[in-house]
Amino acid sequence: MSAIPLLLYVAASAAYAVHFGRRSDLAGRCATLVLAAAALTHVFVIGMQTMESGHLPVVGTSGAISGFVVLLALAYLYTEMMTSERSMGVFIVPAMAVLQAIPTATNAVASRPPVLESQWLAVHVLSLLFAYASFALACVVGVTYVLLFKELKAKHLGFFYSRLPSLRVLDVMNGRAVAIGWLFLTLGLVVGAIWLAQVQPGAVDPRVQAMSLFDPKISVVLLIWLVYTFELYARRSLGWSGRRAALLSAVGFTIVLLNFVPIGYFATRSHNFY
Amino acid sequence: MNLFLLGASHHSAPIDLRERIDFTRRGVPEALGEIGRRTAVHEAVVLSTCNRSEIYTVCDNPRHAGQTLTAFMSGFHDVPESELAPHLYARHDADVVRHLFRVAAGLDSLVVGEPQILGQVKDAFTDAARQGHTGTVLNRLFPWSFTAGKRVRTATGLGEGAVSVSYAAIALARKIFGKLENLHVLLVGAGEMAELTATHLRAQQVREIGVANRTSSHAEALAGRVGGTAVPWERVANELGACDIVVAATGSASPIITRADVDAALRPRLDRPLFIIDIGVPRDVDPAAGDIEQVFLYNIDDLRSIVQENLARRQSRLDRAELMIDDEVNRFMAWLRSRAAVPTVIALRERFEAVRQAELARLQPKLAGLSPAARARVEEVTRLLVEKLLSSPTERLKATADEEDVAAYAEMLNHLFKLSERPQDDRETEPEAAAEALAAFSRDRTR
Repeated sequence: MSAIPLLLYVAASAAYAVHFGRRSDLAGRCATLVLAAAALTHVFVIGMQTMESGHLPVVGTSGAISGFVVLLALAYLYTEMMTSERSMGVFIVPAMAVLQAIPTATNAVASRPPVLESQWLAVHVLSLLFAYASFALACVVGVTYVLLFKELKAKHLGFFYSRLPSLRVLDVMNGRAVAIGWLFLTLGLVVGAIWLAQVQPGAVDPRVQAMSLFDPKISVVLLIWLVYTFELYARRSLGWSGRRAALLSAVGFTIVLLNFVPIGYFATRSHNFY
Repeated sequence: MNLFLLGASHHSAPIDLRERIDFTRRGVPEALGEIGRRTAVHEAVVLSTCNRSEIYTVCDNPRHAGQTLTAFMSGFHDVPESELAPHLYARHDADVVRHLFRVAAGLDSLVVGEPQILGQVKDAFTDAARQGHTGTVLNRLFPWSFTAGKRVRTATGLGEGAVSVSYAAIALARKIFGKLENLHVLLVGAGEMAELTATHLRAQQVREIGVANRTSSHAEALAGRVGGTAVPWERVANELGACDIVVAATGSASPIITRADVDAALRPRLDRPLFIIDIGVPRDVDPAAGDIEQVFLYNIDDLRSIVQENLARRQSRLDRAELMIDDEVNRFMAWLRSRAAVPTVIALRERFEAVRQAELARLQPKLAGLSPAARARVEEVTRLLVEKLLSSPTERLKATADEEDVAAYAEMLNHLFKLSERPQDDRETEPEAAAEALAAFSRDRTR
């Protein structure tokens, strides 16, 4: 059952690739439909897991990845609806498929240690996941911006020129995605800190004890916050936009991914709830 | 029933002749009216654009139609037949269909794939249909050509890519800025090219157009024509900072806008892009300005090479388009041929109905004793019996697409059921039955 969303994400990736390569409208509509089906079944699977375990299955890294993927799918579908622009799908949906393979392979829902039984934690995790989903969108939009920019600059109008929306649209999308992501990132961090301040004094769990600015997961997320804060500042006050902003958001999301997967699984001592 | 087309286009006639035989001068409705009065065609559509004047018809005798239509065109436009005839082309049946489908798809256009022609074909058909000059065949052929034209266009991407320099510039601007509303444009130079591009930009609703020219009166005149404001010549460099698009098209021998100008103008605005279209020969803008990060500098050669590429791409898609057209033509011709069975179907049905009526009349004395309900029952049973007997042969006839087969069947049925021996006026007493059969038939054939 939990493999169905993965299969649908893979199918949607293929359909988006056909849509992009051949510019087939039909393939595009199919892709959107399949992706919507993937997101729906994914929500359903997460709902089942919630009922089974009695809490949102976003405790361990695998669960968090699954949550991230579904939020990314929903955020992407929303952008597609708002901009009626399907050309981004080929860049972003395959990432969903790859990431979703991790929770599908591990499958089991991590049990929730008593220390995490707090409403704050749900807000913390969901905000951060949503922030990461936004950053993922911003990154993809930024990369496509750079691709189109290069073609226009080189006066060689080819593959991307005929498939992507205008530079301006891409730039605005990137700016919005970063702004929304930054808001949720900040919210998630603040809520996490409030929760920590409440539980840390009396906690015996070594993971809670390890939660400090020096834990890799936490220090890297602060770095991420700095990167995106700088992007927002540079956009507003330094007049940065276009290529520089796009590259910055690509750098930011690369760090997000590193923090999510390798650091989340291997390096952190504070956030390893399996 | 034959399809017949007579016309002239940019392929066959020089521009001065095309101008003289343009139907829109005296009016397409009038032309259609006169065709209806003066010739023996059953259906007609007149397609008149700046590149073609064509008459699509359905007639009994194509040779005769060709003569009368040539005479009509000569008379209508007041062009001697001897002068007109060498530039006219005639097409028959499948070639008419192919020609129309190619026209609708933009394959026959001067600029291959140009999109306006489809709308013009639609208008031509609507005009003719509204005045009742079209019938079963053209009512089918023209809508079919819209679908076919559209399908070919989208499947092959025939109409993609700008094929004129000023459109290429607009397309680039749209790729950089998205919507062009709210953009600030500066024209440097007040020549023809500047004006053409400005007119296109105005159509895209840019917010402001500044016009600068060495001769300020020319700048003011052009500003007046394109709804912009004149900018003093010495302010050009300062003005750059506020612009999104610069169109430079002067006859100046040395660059007017240097890299330093652009650098200085853009420093305060950082990453906001500037699109410079340099259509001046020699160039008006220092090519080094294109090295600046947010500057997109395209000169006339860049734009021309884009246009060339687009034209070449259109050309390369032609083969596929022609194949698709062939396919559509075959399907239409299959429909047209299957219509050959219609008269036989009608005759057969009428024959059977006549037999039924005759038998009922003969039995009238015996039936008189029955109750009205029972008589109605007899009526119904006989009608159903005839219908059942005819349903399979009708279906088979309709499904026969091959012309020779249809003819063979028709002959056989004529012979077996003595269809041709029926008095002709008999047929006219039941026009409703014929119309009904025809309608049912057409319904079934609809895709």
